[in-house]
Amino acid sequence: MSIEVVDVRPHERHYGVYIVKFEDGTERIATVNLTPGKRVYGERLIKWGGLEYREWNPYRSKLAAAILNGLKFVPIAEGTHILYLGAASGTTPSHMSDIVGERGLIYSVEFSPRVFREFMEKLVDQGRRNVIPILGDARFPYQYAHYVKGVDVVYIDVAQPAQAKILADNADYFLKPGGHVMLVIKAMSIDVTAPATETFKQEINTLKERGFDIIETVHLEPYDTAHAMVIAKKKS
Amino acid sequence: MAKIYIATDVLGFFALDEAGNVVDKELYEKKPDVVAARLMELEKSNYVPEIVKLIERIKPRAEKVVLEDPELARKLVAAVKGVEIVGESPSHILVEFRRNFPMYLGALGLTWDEYQKFLFEVSDLVTRLKLRQAVERRDLFIAQAISTLDDVDKILNLIASRIREWYGLHFPELEELIRDNKEYVTIVYHIGHRSRIAEDALKKILPEMPEERAKRIVESAKKSIGAEMSDWDLEQLKIYADIYLNLDAYREKLATYIDEAMKEVAPNVRELVGPLLGARLIKLAGGLTRMAFLPASTIQVLGAEKALFRALRTGGKPPKHGVIFQYPEIFRSPRWQRGKIARALAAKLAIAAKADAFTGNFIAPRLKEELLKRIQEVKTLYAKPPPKAPTQPAAKTPPPPPPPKKGGEKRPPPRRERGRR
Repeated sequence: MSIEVVDVRPHERHYGVYIVKFEDGTERIATVNLTPGKRVYGERLIKWGGLEYREWNPYRSKLAAAILNGLKFVPIAEGTHILYLGAASGTTPSHMSDIVGERGLIYSVEFSPRVFREFMEKLVDQGRRNVIPILGDARFPYQYAHYVKGVDVVYIDVAQPAQAKILADNADYFLKPGGHVMLVIKAMSIDVTAPATETFKQEINTLKERGFDIIETVHLEPYDTAHAMVIAKKKS
Repeated sequence: MAKIYIATDVLGFFALDEAGNVVDKELYEKKPDVVAARLMELEKSNYVPEIVKLIERIKPRAEKVVLEDPELARKLVAAVKGVEIVGESPSHILVEFRRNFPMYLGALGLTWDEYQKFLFEVSDLVTRLKLRQAVERRDLFIAQAISTLDDVDKILNLIASRIREWYGLHFPELEELIRDNKEYVTIVYHIGHRSRIAEDALKKILPEMPEERAKRIVESAKKSIGAEMSDWDLEQLKIYADIYLNLDAYREKLATYIDEAMKEVAPNVRELVGPLLGARLIKLAGGLTRMAFLPASTIQVLGAEKALFRALRTGGKPPKHGVIFQYPEIFRSPRWQRGKIARALAAKLAIAAKADAFTGNFIAPRLKEELLKRIQEVKTLYAKPPPKAPTQPAAKTPPPPPPPKKGGEKRPPPRRERGRR
């Protein structure tokens, strides 16, 4: 690693997120590595003040992109229980796993065996014990209801046309009162022909119809085109 | 007497009353491998001994048993008699159970940490078992399955033509009246002797046949000029017809299997060209990974190797399409558009195969959209056939020179075709 780290400080708004400053003046976000010495997706490991940090790449993780684009509120802290739909190879779940720590829990649901194999290798086999791997179909929550208990957050990032509906269905099953949902909208997997903003509106409307208050919407440009992150809370 | 709700968990089953109190429970033996085996069944909506035991026990106290998995409820109705079992998803009582789970855990004498450790062990094991089942060289299984499907089609044709010839001695007029092999063989198997052919009998075995056609068959059966056939003669023919019908049913199953397997192994390729053609391409390429490494131009002529190598050897025209000719937009289009569409399709297939083999992302809707756009473009830009080539140059220039000869004057005799490459 040629560039020296000159400072690491906690993010002013987000628990468990740190800002790493390099000697050339650039800054990156990072989380404290729960499994020191282990990489998940080839990210940079940074040692500072007796702790090891993992650089959080916004081009690989949409949550990181949303944070860098000024997301005000992330409902994730130490001990949070999360239902993560569309865990894929585990890039974003690994950073969540860093943030929630040993007392937190991430039920990670993924449909495709091909990418989930990587999840098992990079997260479970490397010693993360706060992720519960579930190979299942998010459209049928009762098929994995025996694993998942009440959760504080339902996060969804799937390439499915009905993502808002799937999210709301899962929230009905598992979300605790006062819990939050986080929705990554991929406009291109919903409707390639409609303009992205139309698709965003449509998905947000679905959430509203299902009884959610929208807290915040952040676009993910330039890290991902035609993507947006929506955070909402169930009306009580 | 009230509703009883069944909660499922990695520990076992809990029966809850309408206030959410645990009235009974049936726990698994607390070993990860035992629990994993049970959960694998439950996730396929199959019931396990523990849930049957629990329902049998609470049956006298419940007028209705509520589960969240509707499919499982349906299957349990057949297994447990004397109580109503319904699916309700999600069920309010069970949602509350999950939210307040730590409280229930206390009653079992377990701490959350102990529970979480067990939960992790079980989910880890189940996931590994499923992964092992999932993609272990599934693409090669698919290649075998599609080859089998082609074999079965050949065999079906062979059997059908034999049966037509054989039964034709007895009732030659039927040959012209029924085009569809399966219909023909069904009549031979279920009715047999032509004297038994009647309208209601036909209706029973082939409900979709139009009445007017059934009438004509009955009519010609009455005045058929074919040879007499005894039941003893017909017996052998019927056995053979039975084999045909069984094989035809197997073909259906095989096609469904290929479709399901393609959904898991190559969803993008499947979405673009359908399961059967997709499977054929994987077979010809020698596996999904190999297909992912092929350039689009090779995918375009997969299955036309003979024509391709002949073209390369003689300097003639290369083939425009291999097995992707089966794509409806290609074979339904006029000849001069086919090559362009084939090229566009092959390009998208090359991308789809790479996505299937490496990332697993489902990008087919976008590819399909782009492909259809290009096909539209081809159809509008090249709506008319191109002018005949020889007429134009013939007017200005002398006839084109013969194709260039390579490698000496006398060419060795053409070698036998070597399949691919």
